[in-house]
Amino acid sequence: MKRGDSLYRRLLAWLLVPLLALGGLMVVQAWLEARRTADRAFDRLLEAASLAIAEQVQWQDERLWLDLPPAALEMLATDAEERVFYSLVDREGRFITGNAELPGDTRRDDTGGDTLFYRNIDWQGLSLRLGVRRSRLEDWRQSEPFEIRVAHSREGRDALAGELLRANLAYILAMAALAVGVLLAAIRAALAPLTRLRRAIRARDPRTLAPLDLPLPRELAELRETLNELLARMRRVRANQERFIGDASHQLRTPLAGLSARAELALRQEDPARWHDALVAMQATSARTARLAMQLLSLTRLDNPEYQPEFSALDLNALARQMVREHWASCHRQGIDLGVECAATPVRVAGVEWQLEEALGNLIDNARRYGARCITVRTRATPPTLEVEDDGPGIPESRRMLVLRPFHRGQDGGEGSGLGLAIVDSIARTHGARLRLAAGRQAHGLHVTLTFPEEPS
Amino acid sequence: MTANALLRLSAWLILTAWSLAASADETLHFAAEPDAGSPRPLVIHAALDLPQARPLLEAFHRRHPRVDLTYRNLSTLALHERFLETPDAADVVLSSAMPWQYRLANDGHAQPLTSEAARAWPAWARWRHELFAFTFEPIVMVVHRDFTERFGELTSHGDLLEHLIAQPRALAGRVVTYDPVRSGAGYTYAIEESRLSPRYWDLIAALGGVEAQLVGTTGEMLEGLKTGRYLVGYNLLGSYARDEVAGHPDLTLVVPEDYALVTQRLAFIPRQAPHPETARLFLDYLIGEAGQRVIAEQTSLGAVHPALEGPGTARALRARLGDALRPIRLGPGLLATLDDLKREALLARWTREYRRWSLESGAPP
Repeated sequence: MKRGDSLYRRLLAWLLVPLLALGGLMVVQAWLEARRTADRAFDRLLEAASLAIAEQVQWQDERLWLDLPPAALEMLATDAEERVFYSLVDREGRFITGNAELPGDTRRDDTGGDTLFYRNIDWQGLSLRLGVRRSRLEDWRQSEPFEIRVAHSREGRDALAGELLRANLAYILAMAALAVGVLLAAIRAALAPLTRLRRAIRARDPRTLAPLDLPLPRELAELRETLNELLARMRRVRANQERFIGDASHQLRTPLAGLSARAELALRQEDPARWHDALVAMQATSARTARLAMQLLSLTRLDNPEYQPEFSALDLNALARQMVREHWASCHRQGIDLGVECAATPVRVAGVEWQLEEALGNLIDNARRYGARCITVRTRATPPTLEVEDDGPGIPESRRMLVLRPFHRGQDGGEGSGLGLAIVDSIARTHGARLRLAAGRQAHGLHVTLTFPEEPS
Repeated sequence: MTANALLRLSAWLILTAWSLAASADETLHFAAEPDAGSPRPLVIHAALDLPQARPLLEAFHRRHPRVDLTYRNLSTLALHERFLETPDAADVVLSSAMPWQYRLANDGHAQPLTSEAARAWPAWARWRHELFAFTFEPIVMVVHRDFTERFGELTSHGDLLEHLIAQPRALAGRVVTYDPVRSGAGYTYAIEESRLSPRYWDLIAALGGVEAQLVGTTGEMLEGLKTGRYLVGYNLLGSYARDEVAGHPDLTLVVPEDYALVTQRLAFIPRQAPHPETARLFLDYLIGEAGQRVIAEQTSLGAVHPALEGPGTARALRARLGDALRPIRLGPGLLATLDDLKREALLARWTREYRRWSLESGAPP
């Protein structure tokens, strides 16, 4: 597994990134707010100082006069020892007195009355906060407007803003730490059932196929059910396999034991004629056993889910004719009428030649063994179909599914191995064809139909 | 007239009259010891007379023989003018004209010193680590023996006011003080005292009542006191008066018990100092224990360093006078001192008060 790809990490990233972005936003907001608050607090000083100065402005000797109160300037300097600047400006913007020619109010002139205006300025390389008070001297005869401009450097404001920000930052950091902690705990708790499931699976005996039984949240319960279904399927498959192996060993042991007994019996005899009889019987038994072994092997091979056959284009007509030719002689010897009815056009399917030959051979062989007198192999073009019909005893409808299982014979004590139809079924499944067992004509005999898919893939 | 020209003019007006001893352009030079390594130049521009400065500079040069030291003593006005003309000429600027020094620092002409000594320096004696007050000089009264014999002890402003009111005829013309119109120092003291106590104006009225003599320098006052022309000198710079009084048995130096202004000399390193490293070395020495000890023991300027005790230190003076000592606050209030209109207003008031009783019936209420 890649290190980066983990549910925990994924959840953490999706939750933490927005959380941190939010935190960053809060810090920026806190900083702006701290600056605003500090400015508001310190602008009060500008206001008070400019008022204290404005109150001392008089009209004397036909000009503006100011008896500057030192306290007004002291007011502008806090513990941070700010640099302090002030100036008094008359109605024409002329500098009357002060220690710096500060810039004025940028607003239009028509705003009347006693007004205040604050602004950050850069003055001779110093970063200052400027407060401009517009006021006027009211006299009986005249009204004389003037401006008091006061400014101080930002150290005190910056210190206060820093302090406010630090306090806020501590709060934000504490909240963030709490949020992250809760988040980690929450994710861990949410993913705990997954860990439980993993542990439960890992702790299992690898050979057991018993269903998982542990309480899980809904999402994981679905996974558990799916897993249990898979396990159930595997249990069935294994049961089938075990039965198959049991049957197969039984089937093989019986003829081999017969062979051994027959040979032992013959060895006690002195008469070569008896030896001959025994050898003939043994040859028949061993041939049957060999055929059984062959069928078992091909069935095992066909049932292997890993097996991927290579299909080639085949003509069912040619196949049917070929197989009838092969079996005709033996049938004829037993007085069985084996015939073929081919479709008018070649019937093309994709398939494995030896498998289809095996299937057809098994069907003909089966019909012969179970006492048919007349066997007809037939092909149809649409859909591509291969049929074998006989007039034997047939299979009752209730047992037609059962006979497809290995070692299940249509009739007890019959001559066959009980594998023929199972093999045909396997081959049909390999080719994606549908196997159908039905009664023959006049509800008599057996009619086996293999219907191949229309479009050969 | 532009604002700057106006400012210049007012500065000139006040500063011309500041200097206490009429000092010409005096220069001291201490060459670097040739075998002490490559020389490190240092230029000090100061308004501090050579007898007071010499022991300080000698001690410094002994400690740092590599420093090639040039000391230029100027009048406070010349110092100020010169600095504004060439702000990159001096490494250290020392001056007793507190408002002007403050103004230069306020305008951003000084660079901060953040050495250990600077951090340990008492907060009331510095501004922003840029401006350092390194002396402690009380403003005093000097009393002639004749006065004590005839009228008794004089220990406070209150005493003086009482005597002035009680003996207007006997004291007529026998009291001397600064003329705030002519003297920058006198003007600074006036503005500070008027802030300290409203009774200051009564004192001025009483001084006017005895037609107190108004002079420009502490030196002039001391001259008159030594010859016996004046019986009482009011508002003399203690650091200058101390030595003169010690050498003259008829005179007594009185630090008033009710309140005593304290003026301090301010030092700063200009932002454009050509040799800032050496400048920091010197300022560090000046406010360090070594330099302050020299000030305490070999000058009459008064050491500020809190670790120093004994005669010639601020601590000894404080122990004796306690809260009565009022150092001129190192803050933006000093800027008001330099305001032209403020000056006009204060001087107008001062003159008015001085003439209050002489214009009226000539008798106090």
